[in-house]
Amino acid sequence: MPVWKNLSVIRKVVQLLAFLFLVYGSVFVGFYSADKLSGAFPVLACAYDAKTADYCVLIPLQHQFGHRLGPALSAGMFSFSLILPILTTLGTFLILFVVLNKAFCGWLCPLGFFQEVLGMIGQKLRLKRTESLDPELLDRIRPAKWLMLGLLVVLFPLASGLGFVGSELGDPFCKICPSRILTSLAAGQLNQLYIDTSSLGYMILSILADTLFGLILVLSLTMRQPFCRICPLLAMHALFRKVGLVKLVKNYTSRCDKCGLCAKACPMDIREIHTSKEKDILFPDCTLCGRCVEFCPDKGVMALKYVVIPIKVSDPQYFKERNRAQKKWEGKQKPSRRVKKAS
Amino acid sequence: MGATLVVALFSFTAQAAMVWSPVPVEKGHGGHDRRAGKSYLLENGDGANLHLISPKLESKEISAISGRVSVKPMGMDNYHALVAIRNIDHRHESAIRYVYMFGKPSKESPSRLMGYEKSALEIEPAPYAREHWRYYSSTDAQFIIRFKGEVIAGAEVIMQTSNGTRSTFTSDAEGRLTVPLPEDFSDVKAGRRANRAAEFMLTTEREDGADIYITSFSAGYHVNPNHWQSTELALAVVAGGMLLGGLITWRSRRRKEK
Repeated sequence: MPVWKNLSVIRKVVQLLAFLFLVYGSVFVGFYSADKLSGAFPVLACAYDAKTADYCVLIPLQHQFGHRLGPALSAGMFSFSLILPILTTLGTFLILFVVLNKAFCGWLCPLGFFQEVLGMIGQKLRLKRTESLDPELLDRIRPAKWLMLGLLVVLFPLASGLGFVGSELGDPFCKICPSRILTSLAAGQLNQLYIDTSSLGYMILSILADTLFGLILVLSLTMRQPFCRICPLLAMHALFRKVGLVKLVKNYTSRCDKCGLCAKACPMDIREIHTSKEKDILFPDCTLCGRCVEFCPDKGVMALKYVVIPIKVSDPQYFKERNRAQKKWEGKQKPSRRVKKAS
Repeated sequence: MGATLVVALFSFTAQAAMVWSPVPVEKGHGGHDRRAGKSYLLENGDGANLHLISPKLESKEISAISGRVSVKPMGMDNYHALVAIRNIDHRHESAIRYVYMFGKPSKESPSRLMGYEKSALEIEPAPYAREHWRYYSSTDAQFIIRFKGEVIAGAEVIMQTSNGTRSTFTSDAEGRLTVPLPEDFSDVKAGRRANRAAEFMLTTEREDGADIYITSFSAGYHVNPNHWQSTELALAVVAGGMLLGGLITWRSRRRKEK
């Protein structure tokens, strides 16, 4: 299969370009551009990276809750102008989000790309992969992204601004965000890799951040997208997913019941795309990577569309070639020691 | 009281150059009221013409009362330049400081304001700090020295800090100047908010025929967080996280194989 026909290869190229822009972009568009562009980018592009060209929506949101809304509410001064910055940030997010929908996760996020690259390294090292998470475990993990959004992006910053908790919790998501460490390290800075001993709160948050970063480094080698499953941006995208112009659609057939290859291909283990009989199968955990469409063997059953224009439609010929390309890339998986012993 | 303090901080200034400094906040860190004005002091600035230049290079005349100016936002965000100019006979002096203000998006890059010729001799930050960035002790700050728009190689620049450090640096062949900000804070406490920022001032002068040009650039700098942040400990914790990841992977594999 020629690489230019392979959707996953095209996506990797886009991800690489997005990574370069979001981590080193100021080299190309000017040092101050992060202050000039949206400031509400719907992916984990970090403001602490000195070379970034734009930054993530979560940092202004936390600051607006913690620095503006909270103190004003505690002083008993509430006005529409207080929530205007929050609405502006969400509005900017929404405009960008409408353009690409949840594809911001699967096509542009630097941390998502980093985890995929680690996964590819894991494949090349012949590490045995956990292709799908246990459904019970998955059901327990899924609400975590909503907790991350609700607690770390909204409630704790607001409580900090109201004076109920310390200033450590003014921007708690950024304090534990692995993308802050990743993008600043990629830009050649060590200053975001630290244990902060200035207070117990800062110390706990920095330990959590570094542990999470270490966990992702190892888990990504054998598990698909470990951090994405709990990312608050996934939850934020899920809130607005119906308004995005990129759609994932399914034309259910009875063959779908016996197949399930789409769910196996899904890096987020969304088993509902296999069982759903709905037309719109853009579930909250979807990152619009398009793998389910690539690995659907039936013509026209699944499609990735921009409004009504098909970007990628499932096709048996493509499926065959894509499968062959995947097997060639993966090579022969090394059986585990236990399986070896049994044979 | 606050004004006296800042005047005292720079009272040792060589050549008594004009220099801008902030009026110290009595308590806390000045709050987050984005519409509030900011107050600055111009030392040794009697008779100087004062201007505030917007990111769109619009200039507004401002006046000082006892050397103190209150700067109100000009209705747009981004960096503004506080400029004092004084020409007496053949002596041409300037003092420049950059101030961030909030308002409607200016849609201008700060590079335009930094690169704009505000005085004949100028110390231009290259670049100035950006959001989430500050000048910190034990880090290098970069500048370009320009005279009438041309970069100046070999310009001698004196740095003085409100903590008492004084050093001299020379610009390179491209007019670039690297200033290592000194680690000169005493009684450092843990945490950024527990330590007040100090001020550093750069001055340089140049003779051109019978004329002498003097300029100053001033800005705040903070205690380097390395005092309470450890990268070595962080590496150990990352390694611990990696071990934990390995353990989780191994256990889940064992469970599946069983």
